Amino acid sequence: MFKNMLDKRYVFLTVVLLILGSGLLFLPKQKVNEGIDPTDLLMNINSSERFISTDQLADKIISNDPSFIVIDLRDEDSYKQYSILNAINIPFKNLMEEASINYLNQDQYDVVLYSNDHFIADQAWMLCNRLGYENLFVLDGGMNAWYKTIINPMKPTENMAMSAFNTYDFRKAASMYFGVGYPEPIFVEAKKPVTKRKAPKKVIPIKKKKKYESEGGC
Amino acid sequence: MGPILPNGIIPSEWDSIIAIIIGMAFGFILESSGFSSSRKLAGVFYGYDFAVIKVFFTAAVIAVIGVYYMNYLGLINIQQLYVHPTYIWAAIIGGAIMGVGFVMGGFCPGTSLCAVAIGKIDAIVYVVGIMIGVLIFSEAFGLFEGIYDGESLGNITLVDTFGIEAEWVIFFFVLMAIVAFIVADFVRKRVKSIFY
Repeated sequence: MFKNMLDKRYVFLTVVLLILGSGLLFLPKQKVNEGIDPTDLLMNINSSERFISTDQLADKIISNDPSFIVIDLRDEDSYKQYSILNAINIPFKNLMEEASINYLNQDQYDVVLYSNDHFIADQAWMLCNRLGYENLFVLDGGMNAWYKTIINPMKPTENMAMSAFNTYDFRKAASMYFGVGYPEPIFVEAKKPVTKRKAPKKVIPIKKKKKYESEGGC
Repeated sequence: MGPILPNGIIPSEWDSIIAIIIGMAFGFILESSGFSSSRKLAGVFYGYDFAVIKVFFTAAVIAVIGVYYMNYLGLINIQQLYVHPTYIWAAIIGGAIMGVGFVMGGFCPGTSLCAVAIGKIDAIVYVVGIMIGVLIFSEAFGLFEGIYDGESLGNITLVDTFGIEAEWVIFFFVLMAIVAFIVADFVRKRVKSIFY
């Protein structure tokens, strides 16, 4: 009797397992989006974290930061004419080829993308972001901004803030690093600041009178 | 929505605490289903007790069916689940060594700790053996490194290997489990029962 019941239970469980296991086969297929969630993509697009300024990039290159690679998305001719130091040329039309994806889809390096402006680079960034590639950045303003700010920086006018002059100094030094020659030496010997020294104060010690030691009272 | 931990529904600071709670539950269930007995565990190799096969097959079947239904209902995103990378030779050799150890000692590493917790002397010896093995492996890691890191197939699953859809893999797996249960019961009835 008991054995019979046990067998029935086993049969019941087997049927349940089979129904559950085969149920997935009969459920209608869901469309699964490749890559990241659309809401995440939208959030990433709205965030400006992906942009890196030309100053930041120049600073990274000059300080020999080993943690990033630069990718030039323009065509080969433009790349041969001029490119940012150590940039790798991947023309935009070759972006999704396997050789390029090896550069883009990895977690070893930060990748900085640039094109003439930042729109092509932004498109490339969006495609890659959609596929879930990480550590991608876009050079803000692209090659045009690089030329305007680093290679040929504009001299600030006298009424501008101190920080503008500091930026200008940095950019000018950076442009020299990237091979721009200047006719006149830009270093001016700094004048030594003259400071008046105050006469030291004389210290006249005042001796305190010794208090009388308390004598034994009454 | 899920998996809960990677999506930050439970902050990652709770990782260790959740691990401890799951570990305690796992250990408790292992112990209470008799898995701290080396005779029960070794029974699967001698054919008098197939609890190990039944339990692990059931666990795997329930988990895979549950995960895929939850994925279908949008409760969990299967893409975010961690898939352990497959190092093919390391898996084969390690599996063989582990199997031999299983037959000889009558424990797998998890159940041996369970048995230590209830004070079994053979389990204590077994765990000391594990520790010695770990020590030898770590000291001689240079020798084994080629096998340990070599031939990585990446984070693959059966779906990638066979190139068929997950639903079919699950269906065949369920069939396999049912066949295994029936065969196991058939063999157990044939083998002289042992009381332990």
